[in-house]
Amino acid sequence: MSTARNIPSDHGLTVRMFTTGLMIVVLYGAVIGILIAVGISYVLVLALAAALLFAQYWFSDKIALFGMGGRLVTPEQEPQLHGVIDRLCALADMKKPRVAIADTDVPNAFATGRSPNTAVVCATRGLMRRLDEPELEAVLAHELSHVAHRDVAVMTIASFLGIIAGLVTRVMLWTGMMGGFGGDNRGGGNNNNNGADQTALIEMAVLVVSVVVYAISFLLTRALSRYRELAADRSGALLTGQPSVLASALVKVTGDLSRIPTRDLRSTEGFNAFFFTPAIAGKGVSLSTIFSTHPSLDQRLAQLARIEAELGRPA
Amino acid sequence: MGLLNTLLGRSKPVQANLDSLFGLPSATITLQSAAGIASSGRAGVCYKPPTGQSFADMQTEVMKLLDMDGGGTLRAQQDSYGYHWVVVENPDVEALVSQVHLVNSSLSDAGWGPQLLCSVFGLAPVPGDTGAAALPSGVDGATLLGPTAVVPSTSYLVYLFKRGTFYPFIPDGKEHRDNAAELKLKSLVADDLAIEPELDRWFPLWDLPVG
Repeated sequence: MSTARNIPSDHGLTVRMFTTGLMIVVLYGAVIGILIAVGISYVLVLALAAALLFAQYWFSDKIALFGMGGRLVTPEQEPQLHGVIDRLCALADMKKPRVAIADTDVPNAFATGRSPNTAVVCATRGLMRRLDEPELEAVLAHELSHVAHRDVAVMTIASFLGIIAGLVTRVMLWTGMMGGFGGDNRGGGNNNNNGADQTALIEMAVLVVSVVVYAISFLLTRALSRYRELAADRSGALLTGQPSVLASALVKVTGDLSRIPTRDLRSTEGFNAFFFTPAIAGKGVSLSTIFSTHPSLDQRLAQLARIEAELGRPA
Repeated sequence: MGLLNTLLGRSKPVQANLDSLFGLPSATITLQSAAGIASSGRAGVCYKPPTGQSFADMQTEVMKLLDMDGGGTLRAQQDSYGYHWVVVENPDVEALVSQVHLVNSSLSDAGWGPQLLCSVFGLAPVPGDTGAAALPSGVDGATLLGPTAVVPSTSYLVYLFKRGTFYPFIPDGKEHRDNAAELKLKSLVADDLAIEPELDRWFPLWDLPVG
């Protein structure tokens, strides 16, 4: 009925995200292949990693809320916050997530929960104190986009491999230290020694491979996380129709974050992947950007400026 | 498409659904006969104004268009959440609905459908309330619902654009709503209007400029 105002989707971002996802999948295949070829009990490793990750995924809302000291609030307790989220959800036609507040002065917000039905959006007191109403709304729109994009599920699946690789590395190091590589504590004649040498070689290879896999998957998941942040910025800005307000919130929050003493921040580092801005700002330029869960402020501002220009263009 | 959008972190802006709006005139007839409630003659369209000159231009156009349409008064207002309201006053329900639809369809035709939040229609008791007793079906309804059936003077029907559904909203004092009265109102209009089935989407709208 209506001619949707065409805001072109960001093909560059889509392609980058797709490539990163593809590389993660390829890496998965390679690792499973290697595990089968080597013949170590990959079933056990996979099962263990899957169990770990499933627990993290299933209880993501509780883990994150507990870790951040967030508590759920009712509309009566926080009518303003609920009012903003109510309207955004009606605008985006999505189910309203639960709303939580964390009593910390670190200005941040996060979304968690395995599915839109169990999602929780949490804002910190520090965020609500520093931002004015439209800015808070823009940040919440960003978080709601994370919920709509199912980012918790996607990032959990993407980080699965990294956890396996880390697990294999640890198990190998542990058995290596306990029994020595190749199990030469068995002693015995020359025949046995030959076999033991071979096993030692294989075990070394597995160790090296898992370290490499761990490193690659770490970088890839970080890259994916950055792309998804940009995607959430984009959807959030389109939802409120005011990219510049989100930009100003970003500037305020990131500026504040770097000035806050680090002791408070260290305790929140583990949750960075689901944060609005990372709690610890990288100091370096080139290296830190590929390790970070969030794109640089400049990158985010540049994207928002582009959307602002698109929205202002005459129809 | 759902899975692909999840994988690529995209969400498509939701377009507004304007079709169910025209059930309102018949619903007000039902309300008048069953509970002695009629349109208060006021309605509002609420939308999130996006940035940029092109939207501002279109907004001015729409206001001009509505002015020419005549038959009512117009008012533009901003609320504390940063949403814009166009408040239309017209004693004739049919005209009121078509004016509200004009605002909606102009916004949506210009491609701003995703920015539409809701439309709100005010309800008020019919002055003197003689209509209910005169109708045979009205007596039935009135005795069934009892004296509390008279909906408070501030009650509203909210139309959610993205869902194409209505829900009742009856504020009762400061930031408190009368859920019992809302459910009553809902049962009265359930046959005429598409009612929002999910209760958690009946979000409150405090300090309505529709009055």
